Amino acid sequence: MKVLICPLNGPRNISEFIYGGEYHPNPDHIEASSREWAEYVFFHRNVAGIVTEWWCHSASSYWFLAERNTLTDEILRTFNTDEIFNCRVEFSSRSNSEVPSG
Amino acid sequence: MADKTRLPQPLGMLIDRKQPITFSFENKTYSGYAGDTVASALAASNQWLLSRSFKYHRPRGVLTMAGQDANSMVQLHSDPNALADRVEITPDLEVMAQNYTGSLSRDRGARLGLLAKFLPVAFYYKAFFKPRGMWEKWAPLIRKKAGLGQINQNYQPEYFDKQYQFYDVAVIGAGPAGLCAALAAADAGAAVLLVDENAQLGGSLNYARSDLEGTQSRQMREALVARVEANVNIVAMTDATCNGWFADNWLPVIRAKRLYKVRAKQTIMCVGAIEQPAVFHNNDLPGVLLSSAALRLINLYAVRPGQSAVVLTGNNDGYTAVLDLVDAGVDVKLIVDLRDAPAYDAIAEHVCGLGIPVKIGHAVYAAQPDATGLHLGSVDVREIVSRGHCATRGEIIACDTLCMSVGYTPTYQLICQAGGQLSYDDDSAMFTLNQCPDNYYIAGSVNSLWTLEAVVADAERAAIIATNALGMSSRQIPDLIVDVQPQSPNFSWPIFAHPKGKEFVDFDEDLQIADIINATRDGYEHIQLVKRYSTCGMGPSQGRHSALTTARLVADATQRTVAQTGVTTARPPFSAEHLAHSAGRSFYPARRSNMHHRHLESGAQMLQAGAWYRPAFYGDAAARTQCINREVDNVRNNVGLVDVSTLGGIEVRGADAGEFLNRFYTFNFLKQPVGKARYALLTNEAGVIIDDGVACRFGEHHYYVTATTGGVDRVYQSMLKWNAQWRLDIDITNVTSAYAGVNIAGPRAREVLSKLVTDIDMSAVAFPYMCIREGSVAGIPARLIRVGFVGELGFEVHVPQYAGEALWDALIEAGQGQSIKPFGIEAQRVLRLEKGHIIIGQDTDAMSNPAELQMGWAVSKLKAFFVGSRTLKELGKIPLKRCLVGFVVDDPNAPIPLESHLVVDGDKMVGRVTSCNFSPTLKKPIGLAYVPPTHADAGSSFTIKSSGGSLVVAQVVDLPFYDAGNLRQEL
Amino acid sequence: MSVVISPTQTLRRSQLYRRHRQLGADFAQFGDSIAVDHYGDDEVSQARVLGLADLSTLPRIGFKGLGTPVWADSCGVKQPAQPNWATLQGDNTLVARLSSNELLLASNLTGSSKLIETLATATRAHRVYALPRGDSHSWLSLCGEQAANTLAKVCAIDFRAQYFTNLQIAQTSLAKINAVIVRTDIGDNLNYAIFSDSCSLEYLWDSLLDAMSEYRGRAIGLQALRDCATL
Repeated sequence: MKVLICPLNGPRNISEFIYGGEYHPNPDHIEASSREWAEYVFFHRNVAGIVTEWWCHSASSYWFLAERNTLTDEILRTFNTDEIFNCRVEFSSRSNSEVPSG
Repeated sequence: MADKTRLPQPLGMLIDRKQPITFSFENKTYSGYAGDTVASALAASNQWLLSRSFKYHRPRGVLTMAGQDANSMVQLHSDPNALADRVEITPDLEVMAQNYTGSLSRDRGARLGLLAKFLPVAFYYKAFFKPRGMWEKWAPLIRKKAGLGQINQNYQPEYFDKQYQFYDVAVIGAGPAGLCAALAAADAGAAVLLVDENAQLGGSLNYARSDLEGTQSRQMREALVARVEANVNIVAMTDATCNGWFADNWLPVIRAKRLYKVRAKQTIMCVGAIEQPAVFHNNDLPGVLLSSAALRLINLYAVRPGQSAVVLTGNNDGYTAVLDLVDAGVDVKLIVDLRDAPAYDAIAEHVCGLGIPVKIGHAVYAAQPDATGLHLGSVDVREIVSRGHCATRGEIIACDTLCMSVGYTPTYQLICQAGGQLSYDDDSAMFTLNQCPDNYYIAGSVNSLWTLEAVVADAERAAIIATNALGMSSRQIPDLIVDVQPQSPNFSWPIFAHPKGKEFVDFDEDLQIADIINATRDGYEHIQLVKRYSTCGMGPSQGRHSALTTARLVADATQRTVAQTGVTTARPPFSAEHLAHSAGRSFYPARRSNMHHRHLESGAQMLQAGAWYRPAFYGDAAARTQCINREVDNVRNNVGLVDVSTLGGIEVRGADAGEFLNRFYTFNFLKQPVGKARYALLTNEAGVIIDDGVACRFGEHHYYVTATTGGVDRVYQSMLKWNAQWRLDIDITNVTSAYAGVNIAGPRAREVLSKLVTDIDMSAVAFPYMCIREGSVAGIPARLIRVGFVGELGFEVHVPQYAGEALWDALIEAGQGQSIKPFGIEAQRVLRLEKGHIIIGQDTDAMSNPAELQMGWAVSKLKAFFVGSRTLKELGKIPLKRCLVGFVVDDPNAPIPLESHLVVDGDKMVGRVTSCNFSPTLKKPIGLAYVPPTHADAGSSFTIKSSGGSLVVAQVVDLPFYDAGNLRQEL
Repeated sequence: MSVVISPTQTLRRSQLYRRHRQLGADFAQFGDSIAVDHYGDDEVSQARVLGLADLSTLPRIGFKGLGTPVWADSCGVKQPAQPNWATLQGDNTLVARLSSNELLLASNLTGSSKLIETLATATRAHRVYALPRGDSHSWLSLCGEQAANTLAKVCAIDFRAQYFTNLQIAQTSLAKINAVIVRTDIGDNLNYAIFSDSCSLEYLWDSLLDAMSEYRGRAIGLQALRDCATL
């Protein structure tokens, strides 16, 4: 059983966590072409190397991010979401470029 | 009176001669002592035959005395395949041998051995491959012949459980290396777990001497064990098996009926090495055993291994064994040394001076049974002329015991599981281990070190690295330890093919040299394929005694090195474990609403939905349909009460609450008035419907959103994940368990509820459909939501969880005059289906989008964004592939279709039924089904392939089935 | 008081009420609630070995939101500096900090806490949200020298006294359900407050009693805990 370090709760068995998929910035939901959008929603890149992933500590419902090497299954670091998401995201009906989202 | 079957004290350190115990084997009574294993007690009574082999039913007996081999498998009452050299005898224990027809000593199945030539490797694959059906016919017979023990089908479950344990350092194996490593780590302040599968700490120190007198091992054991036992930092577990290695040093340790889940910060594997058998004709006869097995019998159990012995050795350890045999009064007839130029150590030099004949450069070419055919009678000793080949003539030596000492394999299983690499050194003819993961070390003979000095130094070195890593010490790490032993203990080729075969490579599966060679000739050259094709290493001992020989044979047959050939993957478990260890004390969470006991008292038939217990219906299980129909009728005609506490509840509060719901759900919520409820449909980014509920706006900045029973946890997590990105000014809290709830529904619902409400105007004008109120019901603070739910006038009442039962009681009492009756989720399903309401997960699947479900009305086209908006826009550009429609079956004689029955068009599947029930209200079957868009209009008909293949014609109708104008719920 | 108490809203009883009665409980009343006073004799020595008490009807409340720390401070709440630690107020009200912006408050063993009463009705500042912890969560107390060994059978966290400090918090999985576990020793007796899903209380109670049986653990009443506090 792997150990994952939750930024709030410390080291825990990975069975206490829920995997939330890979983080990657999403394309502009208005400007993106159909193909770009379809790839964003349906395609998994399956990177052999370091990826950033969403994880949630179930008992505290705490979401955070982890950098993991998919070749070695080594977790390089875990960190709070505000490292990436540090301001309120707005959606206009025209475009939402320049905002990170996953 | 001294027991003549046993050697004198101090031999027999594991047995207590003051506690005799009688038990039975094959229905015959035997005696032994407390501490004896079945095998040692039987051996003391000169019963060496324990069981028959798997394939040819050959007689088998003691091989290792270490619980490492399948030869010692016996049948206990409810424990098949128990290891006779591991199971301790207890009073009146009943032991039977395994794998024989007739009797153990006259096994009719042994005739199979005569056919061995005609049963080559992969015989079954080849012989029964064609014609089809052949295998099914023969399998039961073959399985009966080639089985292991019997499962007791009347087994009564026993209390097995699990416990977590936490240590700074786990040391696996308590031989000299393990004891020293544990002490060194504990002395640095580490909390240490020391695990050994044997009954007593000490490992080889218990039975193997390292000096001529045998005092060094004994004194060292006594000193180390005393220090370990006195050390408060060490927990020592004997009779405990570390049965695997999992990520981050997660170690399952099994002892008795408990599985310990051990988490260690550092692990030191001191698991030792496993002595290997030589391979020659009839090397499986009882009486042929490893030297270490003989030493264990003598020293641990005071059992003489035999009367006259030959020692076959390829190293100096065989000479050491001679000392013990001689001391035990065994007549050692001959030492057969495979080496042509042995490098003797001091003990071997000494033994050579004892007057026992020694033949250098010779081998045991074959063993022959005695007159009974069940035990060793003599060995055929011949000169080695070239690697693996002997002279054409040899000398026959009569003996009842042959001790084999030809080399070792490190106990690599737990190390390879952790990612350690096994390589083979041609000079030492030995597997070696390297590249262990972080926080994981090996020490001692598993690390190919053999002298006690080197083993101790290696263990202390590992402990220093471990405690340095823990920050408990900052000591200089010693240089890599190098052994001073003059010669490798492994003889490079103790394998001698015989024209008659029966030179067993794998005792478990009765595989001979030719079987392995033939597997490579059949094209299975990779070691993993050799294993699967020949079954070598697949038996209970998992290749412990066959992996080295197999690697050597395959390497030789395929012109590769042994290192290139390697061994097969070692997976957990290391040794056989009871399924009960995995199954014991598993946890199955159960959630109960505050009204749970009232349901039971009202005769509810409960079912579990996820973790929740819910009433399916009330009444006799045998009268299920009548009960459900009565409940439906009562809701439609009077008033019913259903427990909806399981329904999810989420509070969304804060300045951006409306904005959040607008982004999260498909509908528009910004303009939703305070005091109103609105249907909320949830899609994911792929536009697929994943949940639904009702959003109740209790304040400008306060929404209370319901979610499905099974979906609320996912919905809540999804909300938190999105807002971790959007950073809106809100708080989201899952309050599902904080509220108990009921839905009171039926034309007389208001009449009943009004009796208990004083602070809310309950009139239809003041409290219309899809409105919400806060007040009190029977004095309990409550949230009231006027929803359609089952298509009648109805109110959902949510109260603090603790008051659920009080609310239930009050409503039941208040409704007596109105014929109030509880209803369960079966009636609820029928009622909701009559209204055409979908059930997420039943009527939807991983592809369902709102347009297919004709729920476009629940999706706002005006919003800038919601989670599934872009994908739904894309889907809108392409034609619909299917539609969910309501249907009825008008033919009263047609079987009622069931969910998942196919919608067919000729011989093509074109859709499926998702829900179907007999409607007591409409008096005919109604349902929902996915059909092609061409068949989606009311009045169309389609065909359902129902139970038994019968075809049922269904008519598409407009939804809802019942009360099309929705007048009843808006009364 | 061992009369049958009906589930009226004026007298709050635990989801375990029927189990308590089967065990022969005598109940005591606290404000508008009842809790088990004792089941039998000499529960103090039981509490010192291994006891399980149901405190689910005692008051508690939670607050969450960005404004919570400052607001609670202004209301006189002594807060732990770090998440996953707890403090005891002057009247022994437990204040558990579950994240930087979330507090859980639980009353003392008398079943009354002025602080909780005050906060429940106090005007809340911007971005302070009340949480119905008394309704959403049950509250069990597992105490005695074998408490950590018992938890080791249902939870993958090391609760042994030398590794899990008094007033330390673990939010974790207990017998496969989520729980907040706070070590709050009573007197010198090891004690773990377990806050978990109120609807799973019967399941958790049964699971813990099963795990405790090996160490001869039993259900105990509130009186024994109080006696431990004053001994």
